[in-house]
Amino acid sequence: MKINISKYIIAGCSMILLGSCSSDFLEQSPTEFISEGAATADTKALFLSLNGIHRSMYIRYEDQGQTGVGGIMQQMDIAGEDLVYTASNGWYRSVYDWTAASNENSAEIRFPYRTFYQIIRNSNAIINNADAAKGPQEDKNVTKGQALLYRAFSHFQLVQIYAKRYVNGAPNTQDGVPLVLTTQDIVGRSSVEDVYKQINADIDEAIDLLKGYKKPNNSHLDSGVAHGLKARVNLVQGNWGIAADNASKARAGKNLMTIAEYTSGFNNYANQEWMWGSHIVELQTAYFANFGGYMSRNFSSTVIRACPKAINSKLYDLIPTTDVRAAIFSKTGQHPNIVLVSNAQKFPYTSQKFLSVSTGDSRCDVPYMRAAEMYLIEAEAKARLGATDAAQVLFDFVKKRNPSYVLSTKTGQALADEVMFQRRIELWGEGFRFMDLKRTNSALDRSGANHNSIYTGNVTTVPANDKRWQWLIPRSEINANPLVKQNDL
Amino acid sequence: MRLKFKWILTLLIALSMQFSFAQEKTVSGVVSDQTGPIPGVNVVVKGTSNGVQTDFDGKYAIKAKTGDVLVFSFIGMNNSNVTVGASNTVSVKMTSDSQNLEEVVVVAYGKVKKSEYTGSVASIKAADIENRPLTNVLGGLDGATSGIQIQSSAGQPGSAPAIRIRGFSSINGSNTPLYIVDGVPYTGDISTINSSDVESMNVLKDASSTSLYGSKAANGVIIITTKTGKSTKDKFSLNVSTGLSSRSIPEYDRVNANQYYPLEWEALRNSRPMGTPVQMDAANLFATNNIAGLLVTNPFNVANNQIVGTDGKLNPNASLLYPEDLDWEKLLTRAGVRRNIDFSYQGKSETSNYFVSLNNLNEQGSILKSDYERTTARININSKFKEWFRTGLNLSGALTSSNQAVDGVDNTSSFNNPFRTIRYMGPIYPVFDHNADGSYLLNGAGERVYSTLRGPQASNGRNIIYETLNDSDSNESIALSARTFAEFKILKDFTFTTNYAIDKRSLNTSDYKNILIGDAQGVGGASKENFVTTGVTFNQLLEYSKSFNSHNFTVLLGHESFDYETNLVTGTKRGQVVNDNSELINFVTVTNLDSYSRNYSTEAYFSRLGYDYDGKYILSASIRRDGSSKFAKNNRWGNFWSFGAAWNISKENFLSEASWINDLRLRGSFGEVGNDSHISNAGLSFYVSQPTYALGYDNDSEGGIVANGIGAPNLKWEKNTQSDVAIEFAAFKNRFSGSVEYYNRKTDGLIFEVPNPLSLGLDNRVENIGSMFNSGIEVSLNATFVKTKDFSWNFNVNASTLKNEITALPQAEIINGTKKFSVGSSIYDYWLRDWYGVDATDGYALYKSDPAKIVAGDVEQRVVNGENVTTNHTKALYIYAGSAIPDLFGSFSNTFKYKGLELSLMFTYQLGGQTYDSNYASLMHTGSEYGSALSTDILNRWQKAGDVTNVPRLDVGRNTQSSAASDRWLVDSDYLSFRQANLSYNIPADLISRLGVDNVKFFVSGENLALYTKKKGMDPTQNFNGTTQNRFSPSRIVSLGLNINF
Repeated sequence: MKINISKYIIAGCSMILLGSCSSDFLEQSPTEFISEGAATADTKALFLSLNGIHRSMYIRYEDQGQTGVGGIMQQMDIAGEDLVYTASNGWYRSVYDWTAASNENSAEIRFPYRTFYQIIRNSNAIINNADAAKGPQEDKNVTKGQALLYRAFSHFQLVQIYAKRYVNGAPNTQDGVPLVLTTQDIVGRSSVEDVYKQINADIDEAIDLLKGYKKPNNSHLDSGVAHGLKARVNLVQGNWGIAADNASKARAGKNLMTIAEYTSGFNNYANQEWMWGSHIVELQTAYFANFGGYMSRNFSSTVIRACPKAINSKLYDLIPTTDVRAAIFSKTGQHPNIVLVSNAQKFPYTSQKFLSVSTGDSRCDVPYMRAAEMYLIEAEAKARLGATDAAQVLFDFVKKRNPSYVLSTKTGQALADEVMFQRRIELWGEGFRFMDLKRTNSALDRSGANHNSIYTGNVTTVPANDKRWQWLIPRSEINANPLVKQNDL
Repeated sequence: MRLKFKWILTLLIALSMQFSFAQEKTVSGVVSDQTGPIPGVNVVVKGTSNGVQTDFDGKYAIKAKTGDVLVFSFIGMNNSNVTVGASNTVSVKMTSDSQNLEEVVVVAYGKVKKSEYTGSVASIKAADIENRPLTNVLGGLDGATSGIQIQSSAGQPGSAPAIRIRGFSSINGSNTPLYIVDGVPYTGDISTINSSDVESMNVLKDASSTSLYGSKAANGVIIITTKTGKSTKDKFSLNVSTGLSSRSIPEYDRVNANQYYPLEWEALRNSRPMGTPVQMDAANLFATNNIAGLLVTNPFNVANNQIVGTDGKLNPNASLLYPEDLDWEKLLTRAGVRRNIDFSYQGKSETSNYFVSLNNLNEQGSILKSDYERTTARININSKFKEWFRTGLNLSGALTSSNQAVDGVDNTSSFNNPFRTIRYMGPIYPVFDHNADGSYLLNGAGERVYSTLRGPQASNGRNIIYETLNDSDSNESIALSARTFAEFKILKDFTFTTNYAIDKRSLNTSDYKNILIGDAQGVGGASKENFVTTGVTFNQLLEYSKSFNSHNFTVLLGHESFDYETNLVTGTKRGQVVNDNSELINFVTVTNLDSYSRNYSTEAYFSRLGYDYDGKYILSASIRRDGSSKFAKNNRWGNFWSFGAAWNISKENFLSEASWINDLRLRGSFGEVGNDSHISNAGLSFYVSQPTYALGYDNDSEGGIVANGIGAPNLKWEKNTQSDVAIEFAAFKNRFSGSVEYYNRKTDGLIFEVPNPLSLGLDNRVENIGSMFNSGIEVSLNATFVKTKDFSWNFNVNASTLKNEITALPQAEIINGTKKFSVGSSIYDYWLRDWYGVDATDGYALYKSDPAKIVAGDVEQRVVNGENVTTNHTKALYIYAGSAIPDLFGSFSNTFKYKGLELSLMFTYQLGGQTYDSNYASLMHTGSEYGSALSTDILNRWQKAGDVTNVPRLDVGRNTQSSAASDRWLVDSDYLSFRQANLSYNIPADLISRLGVDNVKFFVSGENLALYTKKKGMDPTQNFNGTTQNRFSPSRIVSLGLNINF
């Protein structure tokens, strides 16, 4: 009898187990993520979202060569004539030989497109939610203002790469790029004019919001960067007055590097001349996929050992020997004053402008904006305007690089050409050349220099009207967005 | 506890009294079956440990007393119980259980008689896999049954092959079957299961058999059941084997050093202007002067500009300075040794049974620094304490340690991939540096110096041999699996069972990169990772069964919860301090330190109803309601169900005359199962339903987040509707049997990563969009052609067809690598440029032109034989060029037995389907990949006007155009594999019985013995999608073993 009772007790208990689990058994929360809503709920979260954008400037995207915005800067120089491949090298080869530009499936054209629209998405989340977020108004302004600058910067880079150039005075109704202002809407391409309007509007609003903001370090954006961006944009648009005015405002309070500083001036974002840059700490290294993993001279990666980047020999030979910028390239390729690994290949004219932490650590801070560029923008804009102080602005700048420099007597186009030469040697490797050629409607001309036709795929010249100046819209965008029209194939 | 001791004590006293007072006598006799006496039969007095075995003539003698029950048992025979009477002679005729069609199979939440089962199930028994050198027991599924496709495992010792049952049910989600080990979903690594512990593997293929696993069953279910104590005589079994492992597929044929230089010369020359004799001379001279510079290394005893003459021929005076140092494969590979030792003991009494095993396995891969060592132990004890209460514990643990070669699947093109190096290293490059006279360059310590300077496409800057020897990637794991149950018989017809199971595995990975050459050159680096997976299943089952007249009913009600967690801690430091220490304390800076945990849970209620009338008409139905944490609250639950029916025609009276028919049955099923990719986070993220931002995007010391997932709050279960019809038969005393089966599986609401416009800023969103079906016919036949007392010959063949077709998609087409999804295509249909051939006039590669890209006056467009063709691959026409899915695949095997000798041979085959051989394509570059090896097929290249060939001119400027992805690289996947052979010999019992040993068997076993394919070097079984990689080929293992039972 006792047995029977226990039997029923056990059975009874077991039946209870047949009931369901507790109601939250199927609720699981991630540890790697937070909810989208929480990402913009208050100003503290807005700062987290903004810091994420700062970081996304220097993370690895898809391939190892996709080293954040620094990688896109490389593309812009590699497509130009001033950066030379010293040996056969697979990285960015199709940018160097211009085959990527006309290949809609190319990873190279997908890279800037995808990267900048990711930054735009993150910016839009801040811009559109900042006003409703909890927290001090001041913090809302600072985060929203910087997000607006990122959105403007991204649209600006995109429109320069994928659309036909902006022509001052023309209606500019040609297809620009999708102007993405929300995180939900799928849109087609706006006209180039409309894209530039929005870029300017975003920057203007940012200038307003960032008034008085003292940034903690150069990975953040302040009103100086806003003015600098405004100057850049208007230089491309040919609005010389606006460009000159903003360039001057942007560099207010900034000093140029001394000559002594210059030869080691491109791997530290705290440099007095830098206005905006990324600083990569050990814990955030992308190993080979750092900017310095490709563009530094000293890091020991296969690409740098086998194919260190050189400056166009024709351009280099124009640099006066008294100019410190001659010292950041090694005409012999021997680089006597820096440490290279023993199996590093040596070629004439290679650059040591960028230096990574060591041969085993590819980290190198990435410059996005420096005061030198602001001098150059102001000088060029004023030269093109015919302003009398144009040569003086140029002198103020070049004198800091070459103590023997004398005030230029040139004016107008000739002076502008001199500024362009200064841009080429000052901004080498900082991602400007392709866009400078495009905005000035110039042909690519690699002839007479150290380019090897085997590596350039015989792309020595490209006329200014070639359709490859407009990179194709990536096929993956067209497939998923029927509103977007392709460029001329 | 005290109660239990009392009980045991009582039992012992009772037993000893029996021994003391029983009047014993010696009972003897002969045990036989229809073919004659059987040696080695266990004869045990029931309820005692008193047992003997029959000798070679089937004779035995045992002490027993009147009234005792003698139990006769032998593997493959039904047990026979005889009560000792007055006679001192008890002779027994045993019956083979293979003749007994009442085969019992393990299915979802229970066991059934196969003849009364309505679903499709294939069984692999212990006898089918024992003695095979299977490091991973899943290897035993290859060729074992129809409808299963096996992708060759990555080859790393211990790695699991990927398995598809009846095609592919999901595009983005998991297609991996559900693994059930001892009744519950297994979350560990199958390789930690000792294959000698496995009693059976059952493959459940249709909805009727799988739907009780509802949410997890869409891709089929593989039920692995481990051994329990079965022998009434305590039995000890020892199994040792040792073997050698080597690569089973030879390398592609490639040109040698003497051929390579002139070919590269020609490629360089052909890129220069050659229109006039003057230009031609200049081009020849340019190539002669420059080729050594481009290839970097000159292995010949002549000057750099004299290796290849201006006539394009190798200098006749040139000879290799160090021919012995050009073989990279030799220094990277070896004949790996595989050793296995396993012992087990088991026993069974009226109330309890036990099975205990220990195993140690050590296998070296064919590549240096790849090995796997595993030690496992298992204890399975089951006891019936009361008539109404039974419980048991099946506990297994495994310790593994392994050195991992670079995973060729994930790192097919990385510089440190040894398979890639072996394949593509140009034949002119030495492993070590040499002096100008060819002697080895020695460093200060008198050691050879590993070379790092080569052509740009020859792993320049690296030395894979040095890196393989000096880097390390090793892991150690501890795996624990526990299964326990309690079973209560309640009232009269009810059984309540509750099961609780844990699978826990902790994997510690250590990675070290040396300071001299490779990914951490100049600094040295080390990483440590700890990855823990925990799966907990808890279920409660209530069964009711009732029979009256010839009506039999069964009802099952159940509830199950499943909880899965993964935890990862990972850290990397760089900057090595002292030599020969890869612990993190020996490194200076932290470059990565992270951890996370991920959780997934499911809950289910289910029921199964079964009915049969006299074993003739069988009906079954099941329903399961499943909730998964992956889906948002409102879409979490899905309902899955099935119906099945079977008709045992052979039991009908109208067939009772036809005695030659032993079995004839018709069965069919229909049902719906679901897929949420189960424990695969890659198949479907655990947190897919929520829009998320990712942590870990800090900017220096400022915390940062970025948009991560768009969130899929409306996502629902992917549903798989399956139907199955089969006829099964056996005739002529079961010497001829088989089955023919048709299935159709339709997936709706495919969980799809729909590509977003890039301009939306997140690559894709997950939606239920699209439909697809798989259908096919499966045939298995088994024939015993000869069966005499001494000799038998059994033949088995199975064949399957598979058709896969997409019937709905989110957009008109989705191009995915070499494939394109569109309605009407399969998921593995190639979408490639239409290769035309080579223009005999100038050797240019030609593709059929895309009519939309033909523009008048375009010099890249040509008309050849009336066909519009182009020399520019970007203007080529894309076509559906074939499919990776085979038309027919399967296996056949022969088993011969002669007395104690047994030989079995198994072959697998595939007909139809194509492989996109990118490995071969890379060996067919036009010379532009300086330093990268060339296939011997390059010798057939176009060389001069009028050459008719399919290999374009060598030309360093035209590789992009000539070697572009096209159907040129498709190779038929047809293959015949001599998959497995086994020869064993049982020592006659009379020779060993004096040793007190029951059974001694020697065996030789081989896996992956030969493979016949269309192209040497190609492995057509690498990937279901038909692509190839630089990775292990399946290991050929030949082993010798010994098996002893007593």
